[in-house]
Amino acid sequence: MKGLSIFLYEWKHFVRSPFKLVALLLFVVAAGYGLHNGASLYEEQLAQIQQIEQQIEEQREEYMAYYKEGKPGPENAPWIDMSTPFWSIWFNGTYHFKNPSPTMVYSMGQAEQYGFYKRVTFWASPYDADMTKEIANPERLQTGTLDFAFALLFLLPLLLLILLYNLKSMEAEQGFLPLIEVQTAAKYTWLLSRVAFYVGLVFLVLMGLLLYGASLTTVFTSAAGGFGQILLYSALYLLFWATIYYLLLFNGTTVMGNTLRMVGVWLILAFLIPAGVHQWVSIEKPANLMTDLIDATRDERQKLYDRPDSVIQAQLNDLFPEIVDSPVARDSSKTSFARSYSASAYVNELMKESIAPIEAENQVKNKLVRASYWFNPLTYFQNRINRISQTHYDDYQAYRDEIQGLIDRQIQTMVVDTWNEVKVDQEKFVDYHKILNTY
Amino acid sequence: MWQIIKNEWVYLSRNKTLLVVSSGFVLVLLVAVWLGHRQTQEQQQRYELAQKELRQQWENIDGMNPHGAAHYGTYVFKPAGLLSSLDEGVNNVTGKVLRVEGHVQNEIVYSEASQMQFVSKFGKLKTALLLQYILPLLLLFLAFHSVSSEKQNGRLKLLVLQGAKPSTLVWAKTLSVWSYGMLLLSLTFLVYLLFNGASLNAEVINRSLWFYLSYALYYFVISGLTVLFSARWQNATIALTSMLGIWMLWTIFLPNILLTSVEKWHELPSRNAFQAAMKEDRSKGIDGHNPADDRSKELEDKTLSEYGVDSLSQLPINFDGLVMQADEEYGNQVWDKHFGNLRKVFTQQKQSYQLAGILSPFISLQNASMGFSASDNLHHQEFLAQVEHYRRGFIKTLNDKHAYGGSKTGDWGWEADNDFFKSVPDYEYNSIALNSVFGHYIPDLLLLAGWSLLISLLLGVGTRKMQLI
Repeated sequence: MKGLSIFLYEWKHFVRSPFKLVALLLFVVAAGYGLHNGASLYEEQLAQIQQIEQQIEEQREEYMAYYKEGKPGPENAPWIDMSTPFWSIWFNGTYHFKNPSPTMVYSMGQAEQYGFYKRVTFWASPYDADMTKEIANPERLQTGTLDFAFALLFLLPLLLLILLYNLKSMEAEQGFLPLIEVQTAAKYTWLLSRVAFYVGLVFLVLMGLLLYGASLTTVFTSAAGGFGQILLYSALYLLFWATIYYLLLFNGTTVMGNTLRMVGVWLILAFLIPAGVHQWVSIEKPANLMTDLIDATRDERQKLYDRPDSVIQAQLNDLFPEIVDSPVARDSSKTSFARSYSASAYVNELMKESIAPIEAENQVKNKLVRASYWFNPLTYFQNRINRISQTHYDDYQAYRDEIQGLIDRQIQTMVVDTWNEVKVDQEKFVDYHKILNTY
Repeated sequence: MWQIIKNEWVYLSRNKTLLVVSSGFVLVLLVAVWLGHRQTQEQQQRYELAQKELRQQWENIDGMNPHGAAHYGTYVFKPAGLLSSLDEGVNNVTGKVLRVEGHVQNEIVYSEASQMQFVSKFGKLKTALLLQYILPLLLLFLAFHSVSSEKQNGRLKLLVLQGAKPSTLVWAKTLSVWSYGMLLLSLTFLVYLLFNGASLNAEVINRSLWFYLSYALYYFVISGLTVLFSARWQNATIALTSMLGIWMLWTIFLPNILLTSVEKWHELPSRNAFQAAMKEDRSKGIDGHNPADDRSKELEDKTLSEYGVDSLSQLPINFDGLVMQADEEYGNQVWDKHFGNLRKVFTQQKQSYQLAGILSPFISLQNASMGFSASDNLHHQEFLAQVEHYRRGFIKTLNDKHAYGGSKTGDWGWEADNDFFKSVPDYEYNSIALNSVFGHYIPDLLLLAGWSLLISLLLGVGTRKMQLI
């Protein structure tokens, strides 16, 4: 029997099996629903970012009016002087966003665990309370939203199971196997061809779903590489399960036995191993209660303020050599004022020092998870897909790093300009906006 | 019937595959219970240490202005409940740290899930994972050919000829499979009790019993329906694949799809909109006609007339403390309005999701399991409410000290002494009594009972015209 004939027979078998047809249909519906969920989150985040940008723009226009009208600041706040770098930068309304990738349509990953917009000030930190996730039902977060990645990673093996469970073993139970051997000469090539038929069918369905997903966002115009990668990983994942099931079918003799083994493998790989690894990591490295960060934001910060002026000045000089010979540094009547404006600089250093061990600990946890990949393929594939859809922990770490970079730049600009007595006018205000908002 | 059940058990005990699978399952179950216990202990220790450290810092305040102390504030850490070793519920995704300070009701931050990359879609290897996902599958595999195999080898006809009623036979098969599930469930509880014997109290036992009952009902539904399929279908494979399809629909598809849909039906505000609305209310007044300055002036006039003086400087108390407290109380109304709305939406979402138990008993089981383990969103919200209640008392104590502690209006340099700070009570977590929230879980229990009743009816009606061969 030639390969094509086997394919044609298998096609007939498939269309005459209502159970298999319904399973495929259910998979398509679930994956389609997942794609819409991903697209919906993408749209929501974009809309939210747009809304905030509009709010910032309106606020900035308000502050710009002070320069146009020659006023130092709001009338009910006489201490505000917009011509100083401190207040000008403070009211510049710097936000940093984690713009969603169009490939989020395929995987929402950890996007709902983190915030994606943050007001950047010189008192900010990437671990501020406003960096927390959007308001969501925690029970839904725990159950997880059905996205395409869920359909791919958890439902695809089940779909394959339903499509393949009775291959070869049904013929063996009904006594047709010797006949097939006579007709095909090699029953395992025959089995391989049949499995290949379903792999091909599922691959085409996946391809269709991925293309449909791409049409929901702007994958092709702005993340075409992501599409190729998702397609590649989907195909690899499909082959991974097809190989496991093929080996089980190859060695199995009864429909029930095969079904039980296939379900067993799915349970072990999808539930038990990832859950076991999660539990193990949680015991090895329990959730951080951030007591060091709390200390830094309260007692340690107070200790910094209480230091003698000479110590504070020495630290500021170390951090910003540009201020050593600045006009303010040369005028002792102005240094105290400038030093108090520069307090955020050394607090920022303290915050960075206390954040470093937290992030190092998180990386140790990630390392532990990565070390499990060789026996924990589902977690591997999920994290790969999260990376492609830019919803992985590392993507949010990069976002936090960018925020820290912007905080540093803001502080640097504010301190250096304060000590150099820069007078801010409308033009400078606009310049600040450009410098401080570009990453 | 008892004779058939007994025979079934003898048969099951001779099935080597089942013995191997059961042993493997029991081993994993024991590991899960032990790991869950260890994790809870570890978490509890960390929680106590952190809480102690923060309290020590508070008690070490030598002298500080009370309002300064309100800004200094304190922190509350979410404790791990004893039953969370059985079912962790939402604890992995909710924050762990809550800042308690003046002027603002903060949100809980730093969830465990945000502290590392993705690991598992179905959470940690907790007892609930095994009891909810794996054990029902074992029951299903045990039951799918229980009647059909009797048909295929002709034993069913023989039994009927000997006087056994088909419905009795089907009931006996159901009960024997169900009792296997109950055995494993009971074993889990026994091990759990062994590990946690020292910390058991009436509340934990009460919750555990309801937890146990919920699973018992669900296992009956799974056992009964699979045996029914086995009796109705001629082919055991069809019974197995149909039941697997139902299992997937109940446990994988419906919870995900319905919970996502429920969140769309009862929409929560975005964080930005939520914060902006609170800020707006905070500055303009709840009804938009009561600006903060007017309220302050009103309070000033009232206080001056109460003390019979003409100016703030003549007051024997510190008026700033009164303003702070009045502002705090006004703020509390704002928080109550907005956080109250959030709670309302969460309640609507929960109620709609509970109704989905009509389509899937797994949803009712999951709700009941989390609820009786005190780890669902309702318990999380209760914890937040408890902390907010503490915050209000905490800030009022500080504001009262500011007002009546001996300082005068405008004297921001005045400091309360260490004895005062030591006297401010620390936050103490009061575990939520099941009796106070039990009503919320009645729909889940009723639906599980309803499903059990439906299956019982189907077992009676559906097997009347059962083919014997």
